[in-house]
Amino acid sequence: MSLEIQNLHVQTDEGVEILHGVDLKINKGEIHALMGPNGSGKSTLANTIMGNPTYEITEGKIIVNGDDISEADPDERARAGVFMAFQYPASIPGVSVANFLRMAVNAGREEPIKVLEFGKVLRENMDLLRIKPEFTKRYLNDGFSGGEKKRAEILQMAMLRPEFAVLDETDSGLDVDALRVVSDGVNALQGEEMGTLIITHYTRILNYVEPQFVHVMLDGRIVREGGPELGRELEDLGYDPIREEVEANAS
Amino acid sequence: MPPSWLDESRAAALEIYEREEVPTWRRSGFWTTSLRGLDLDALEPRRYEAVAEPPEIVGPQEDLAALIVQRGGSTVYAWVGDERITVMPLEQAAEEHSELVQRWFAKRLPAGEGKFEAANAAFWTGGAFIHVPRGVVVDKPIQVIYEIEDPGTAQYARTLGIVEENAEARIREYCVAPDFEGQALHAGAFELYLEQGANVKLAHFQDWGSGEVHDISVKRVEIARDALCTWVPIHLGGKLTKQTLDIITAEQGADMRHYGLYFTENDEHLDLFTTDLKEAGPTSGDTIWKGALTGASRASYEGLIQINKGAQDTHTYLQTHSMLLSPKAKGDSIPSLIVETDNVSASHGGTVGELDEELVFYMQTRGLTRAEAMRILVEGYFEPVVQKIEDDQLEEIVRGRIAEKLTAASDEVAQYIEAR
Ligand SMILES: Nc1ncnc2c1ncn2[C@@H]1O[C@H](COP(=O)(O)OP(=O)(O)OP(=O)(O)O)[C@@H](O)[C@H]1O
Ligand SMILES: [Mg+2]
Repeated sequence: MSLEIQNLHVQTDEGVEILHGVDLKINKGEIHALMGPNGSGKSTLANTIMGNPTYEITEGKIIVNGDDISEADPDERARAGVFMAFQYPASIPGVSVANFLRMAVNAGREEPIKVLEFGKVLRENMDLLRIKPEFTKRYLNDGFSGGEKKRAEILQMAMLRPEFAVLDETDSGLDVDALRVVSDGVNALQGEEMGTLIITHYTRILNYVEPQFVHVMLDGRIVREGGPELGRELEDLGYDPIREEVEANAS
Repeated sequence: MPPSWLDESRAAALEIYEREEVPTWRRSGFWTTSLRGLDLDALEPRRYEAVAEPPEIVGPQEDLAALIVQRGGSTVYAWVGDERITVMPLEQAAEEHSELVQRWFAKRLPAGEGKFEAANAAFWTGGAFIHVPRGVVVDKPIQVIYEIEDPGTAQYARTLGIVEENAEARIREYCVAPDFEGQALHAGAFELYLEQGANVKLAHFQDWGSGEVHDISVKRVEIARDALCTWVPIHLGGKLTKQTLDIITAEQGADMRHYGLYFTENDEHLDLFTTDLKEAGPTSGDTIWKGALTGASRASYEGLIQINKGAQDTHTYLQTHSMLLSPKAKGDSIPSLIVETDNVSASHGGTVGELDEELVFYMQTRGLTRAEAMRILVEGYFEPVVQKIEDDQLEEIVRGRIAEKLTAASDEVAQYIEAR
């Protein structure tokens, strides 16, 4: 069981190529970290995995549990078990968190979830993420603080129980306490049940959620791969040594 | 016998009616509202027998304080459950409470304003009179219904409401018709007066169905010292609608909240002009209008804030949004402002937009289909206004009708989005 990205070339709807052949394989039960400086293409990869119509795949494919989903609509990908926590979650005025969660949960089911069962699962997950009950009555992300939005993303993940989750900079904008809560949440959901791709600039979150694999992206390509020690190396030295090495190899 | 003042008022209005041309309304840009398509001479007031049961749309009668139902030109049902108030056909009130009616009748809604104001003042029949005496608090809604049952009808509807000092009431006026084929006219006049310290929640609900109902109406609310009116007009359908809705805060401390909603489809044409008129200060106000358009419909909303000399220390806001859900729909949303005094704060804004693709994507990543995402977004867009109705029965009707209209339009909207 895996999420596999093969030789992915992606361009924007204006025809500019951003990803120049990305390969990545995430098995269920694994945690991967994708790191890279601003503008290197991390969010583009996450959005393309989810099927954002702004991006076009010109070469390569995305395979989930053996099925090619490269052409599927975003909702089909979600139902295939793929989830993304957005770097900048959109706000949906007029739709409460609870209502939205119920609709999303039901979208993946044949029979709608029973009200009591939904309430129970929601409460459990809110406890897990230390979210106050009032929160669910508010309109989704509308007027939420940066940290609240990130928690709401993880709450959605907890409710939807995806097989593969891409967390796009869920750690940025969180204070230390919130970071711990969110990390605990991810760890609790992780187990053998989920394959996770954590996109981040900082190694901070990697102290709480331990990846087995670290990938470094630069200018639309994955240029280095390694274990947890690669994360620590980046923490100490930054991206410059890697960039210099890549440029040296190129010339 | 109608009182002589009323006969005189009708005669004077008839003269104006005969003198005035059928108007065409123009606004800047593409906007024109014309009655060229309406065969006025083919329409006539129709009479109906009284009915034993009120129409279904009102829900259980015991949830109401009073109910007047007018079909065509006739009052077909009248009932009052609260002895402290007077609610009866306006014709009857003009006879039984002649002095009181004369004191308020047409105070803010003179026949001389135009052809259809005059037509209403000359030809109105039945009508509704609402009087809530000083200090009386009525929790249950007072309901008025104007129905057009058959094509060929000209309905001249007139409602006069007076809510006296420190009295409180909820008033709902519904304008409805079944789906029929053919033309009809509703020329409505609604006036409501809030005396000092009164508090009124007012809702208008218009759903003329798929027949060719032309609705040319004026609605006006005057608010006296320290009184508050919350007014929620809902427009869910009609072949052609031209309405003027004005709220006048006439004395210091008067306060108004005005939240409106419209949804047009097919070839409907909706022309709304609202005025938040401040005659004295300090007063305050808040206006929000939201609309959505499908099909080849046209909707134009203009909201004016007018602050007269002498209305110092006024604080008022107006916002209007319109959402185009079809490439053939055309709409505008125009806020405007006239300020004749100083020391006021007034702000206004208007937008015309489309469905936000980023939000559609976000919702799709949670497993919802495009059509579901659209429905949720449009419902969510309207929801803040729907909640302002603060009336479960009407809120359910409005939510249900919006959902129906969205379902009817969903294929068209999907094509539109795909084509972009
Ligand atoms: N829709 C778009 N249109 C044009 N350019 C785009 C678009 N989306 C992304 N880009 C460009 O592609 C590059 C990669 O952007 P992306 O958002 O994927 O980077 P990122 O690695 O997520 O950066 P950050 O760490 O700042 O979030 C940037 O140069 C960005 O400006
Ligand atoms: Mg990014």
